[in-house]
Amino acid sequence: MNVIFSAVFILSLLAMLFIAPDQLLPSLLGGAESSAKMALTLFCIYAVWMGLSRLAEKSGLSKTAAKALKPLSKKLFKTENEAALENLAMNLSCNLLGIGGAATPYAVKAVNELEKDKNSFAQKLLFVINATSIQILPTTVITLRAGAGSTSAFDIFVPSLICTCISTGLGVLLYVITGKFSKKPFKRGKAAK
Amino acid sequence: MTYVIPVIFIIVFGFAVFKKVKIYDEFTNGVKEAVNFTVSLIPCLAAIFMMCAVFEKSGLSDRLTQLLSPVFGALGIPRELTKLVLIKPFSGSGSLAYLNEIITKYGADSYISRCACVCFGSSETVFYISAVYFAGLKVKNLALPIAIVLISTLISTIIACLLCRIM
Repeated sequence: MNVIFSAVFILSLLAMLFIAPDQLLPSLLGGAESSAKMALTLFCIYAVWMGLSRLAEKSGLSKTAAKALKPLSKKLFKTENEAALENLAMNLSCNLLGIGGAATPYAVKAVNELEKDKNSFAQKLLFVINATSIQILPTTVITLRAGAGSTSAFDIFVPSLICTCISTGLGVLLYVITGKFSKKPFKRGKAAK
Repeated sequence: MTYVIPVIFIIVFGFAVFKKVKIYDEFTNGVKEAVNFTVSLIPCLAAIFMMCAVFEKSGLSDRLTQLLSPVFGALGIPRELTKLVLIKPFSGSGSLAYLNEIITKYGADSYISRCACVCFGSSETVFYISAVYFAGLKVKNLALPIAIVLISTLISTIIACLLCRIM
């Protein structure tokens, strides 16, 4: 992230110097302003879903969900951490239901739990799954299309479903494969020492 | 499908009543977590949004769009979608605004709009997610997972454009 941030920022600054040096400060302030607006929007989403998720947690509902998904998540993420598994299960179920806003806080909690075990494999895998999007019902897009007067707003459902499965499947597959390859030279390096 | 969210709320509230949870107290506690969580995100958000703003204003993003349009065209991604595909990994709200623009410009049922919708719906704001998930942690070597995600997203985008042509 540091490398990307510096590279994009410095290149943009250089380009800005030639094109419109007087626009630099306004655009930075504009960016900061939209980040504040974004934070407010996110807070609204999180307030609703984290409030609800607290209820689910306290009533034991998330434990039930975690139990149902446990065999799968245990195998996939290679962790025994109960708290992490519970958050992982809730993250996956929120994603599948198409409420991405609710999924993020769970993922962050799970990543923090996994940090305690130094399980970076599971942390990155969770990132890959979430970042390739596993939304079954793209609610935002369908609402948007219906609003724009589409006659069949739902007809993108099947292609979306196929694509979201392909991207996530491919991501997980690539991650597992590259993980296996990168382990080998690491072990050899250790043996050589 | 409009019933999904009300039903979830009813189930959770009903279960909480059944289990005698202090609903108001716990809901407030949940919102309190949301406050802390949002505040912890603000530094990342501010930095990334400033970067995006400068990137956009400096004309680099337009230049990149022009540069990549032929490449994307060769892969079967319509030129009109280049910018959307490029923005999406960085900014959810930015790409949503752009998707809206495409829909109003080309009509909701056109091939371009349908393609744009599928691409948008089956991809995520990769850089934003990586910033949020790993904020304050010492996880290293994120380059590989990010590269994997971007490649998978690109491939699914190509397939999306193909699918919209036949379906």
